[in-house]
Amino acid sequence: MNILETHNLSFSYPGGEGREPVPVLKNIDLAVEEGSFVAVLGHNGCGKSTLAKLFNGILKPTGGTVTALGMDTADENNLLDIRKNVGMVFQNPDNQLIATVVEEDVAFALENLSVPHDEMERRVTEALEIVDMLPFRKHAPHRLSGGQKQRVAVAGILAMKPKCIILDEPTAMLDPKGRREVMRTIRRLNREEGVTVLLITHYMDEAVQADRILVMNEGKILLDGTPREVFANVGLLQSVALDVPQSADLMFALRQYDIKVPISILDDMECTQVLIDLLEGKFGDYSDRKFDA
Amino acid sequence: MIKDITLGQYFPGASPIHKLDPRTKVLLTILYIVSLFVIRGGWGYFVSAAMMFVIIALSRIPFGVVLRGIKPILFVLLFTATFNLIYGTGTPIFEDVSWLGWLTWNGLRNAVFMAVRIILLVIGTSFMTYTTSPIMLTGAMESLLAPLKWVKVPVHELSMMMTIALRFIPTLVDETDKIISAQKARGADFETGNIFRRAKALVPILIPLIISAFRRAEELADAMECRCYHGGNDRTRYKVFHFAARDALAALVMTGQLALIIFLNVVT
Repeated sequence: MNILETHNLSFSYPGGEGREPVPVLKNIDLAVEEGSFVAVLGHNGCGKSTLAKLFNGILKPTGGTVTALGMDTADENNLLDIRKNVGMVFQNPDNQLIATVVEEDVAFALENLSVPHDEMERRVTEALEIVDMLPFRKHAPHRLSGGQKQRVAVAGILAMKPKCIILDEPTAMLDPKGRREVMRTIRRLNREEGVTVLLITHYMDEAVQADRILVMNEGKILLDGTPREVFANVGLLQSVALDVPQSADLMFALRQYDIKVPISILDDMECTQVLIDLLEGKFGDYSDRKFDA
Repeated sequence: MIKDITLGQYFPGASPIHKLDPRTKVLLTILYIVSLFVIRGGWGYFVSAAMMFVIIALSRIPFGVVLRGIKPILFVLLFTATFNLIYGTGTPIFEDVSWLGWLTWNGLRNAVFMAVRIILLVIGTSFMTYTTSPIMLTGAMESLLAPLKWVKVPVHELSMMMTIALRFIPTLVDETDKIISAQKARGADFETGNIFRRAKALVPILIPLIISAFRRAEELADAMECRCYHGGNDRTRYKVFHFAARDALAALVMTGQLALIIFLNVVT
């Protein structure tokens, strides 16, 4: 079943007085299957954040339709139901925590949804447990590290028990340790809790962990496929100013010399194996070849 | 330097006074103020002051802190006392000394009582903020003012604004620190020059701060909408206040004090 769907979706920001509207998204047809882990890649200004905000009705399409769990996001009456099921985590952890105590912040959505007090308490504990922040429930958010704050933000969404979570560059403002913590949490949500994850990122090593990658460029979907399929297009990705994982880059460089290594190599172990095979002559004998690089 | 700013005067603690329901504290503080204005004689002041000493002792807040709270009103205190002294009527204290004729027993009495009343008033009200965190006070206010919703006062919205303000003060203080450092690194000078120069030097701090606050506000609004915020209607509360036995006891003691003061007024 598709949890998120767009049909011929277009979106333009109003251009201000006397100016033309600025088109951001152009005729996008997309379906995200329930339970999947999808990463969205694209450089700044390609429309990926806009796409995220369209999925839970923060923005309304200017053309075409967006449906979440079969509900049209353009219909005001659906909004609460959609937002309850399609949670969203933003880039800056400071700007999405509302209360002055961690557990009260996690409860914020539940208060809005009129959840009775006892159940609220249970769900807050559960959500904090999933993100490993239970020992911090009485702490003040501004004393936490970036990674911890972001996990509290994720817990605040989890408490609603959404079927889908959209994360808009959740690790962009974090240090490497914070990034690892948040990514571990996201993977666990998808694998163990069965939550559909849509991760917007510009880190390749994060995108590689998804089941499916969408690459966006200038308001359109440029590539759509498994990480292997997508990262095989090294040339195309680099032409839209995107990096590829280092191992994919190396394979691409080797193929420039007509060396028949596999196209889609993603992780370091696979890459090492290919290099060993290469040196042992499995891909043919290149020992007489001069490399100029 | 900016980090030293503490909001309100809250002293964290776990004393019986701290543990009282914040609503009880707000209501009993009002009751205490009322009782101060009912007092007519010296015994009444004695009862009120004794009550305050008991509260201070129970709260385990250092006495020095309490005294420091009076410092800002020292001038008002002296001013009021002096005028009460000068404008006293009745029998002079020194009947033989003609140039001290203005100094009357009545004036002295009024001056002392007025000073004690002001001191107790200030200590009494600051004790509410000493022992209750700002966020608890906000909660208490929302709860106590709830009936005003019937006359269309946006009680929930006001308390939500307070909560967000309290939440963002540390964040914005951090940010101000960063902006100051950034401007200093680029040669800005905040420490020299006359007051106008220094005030002008603040502009490059305030403008980025305000712009960033607006940006934060916009993101926060989105984040709140994403978490299904739709105003105060039929919201449930995570933090619920419970009146406990100690609240009943406190209310009883405070009412007893008022009753005693009224009794003393009648008797003397």
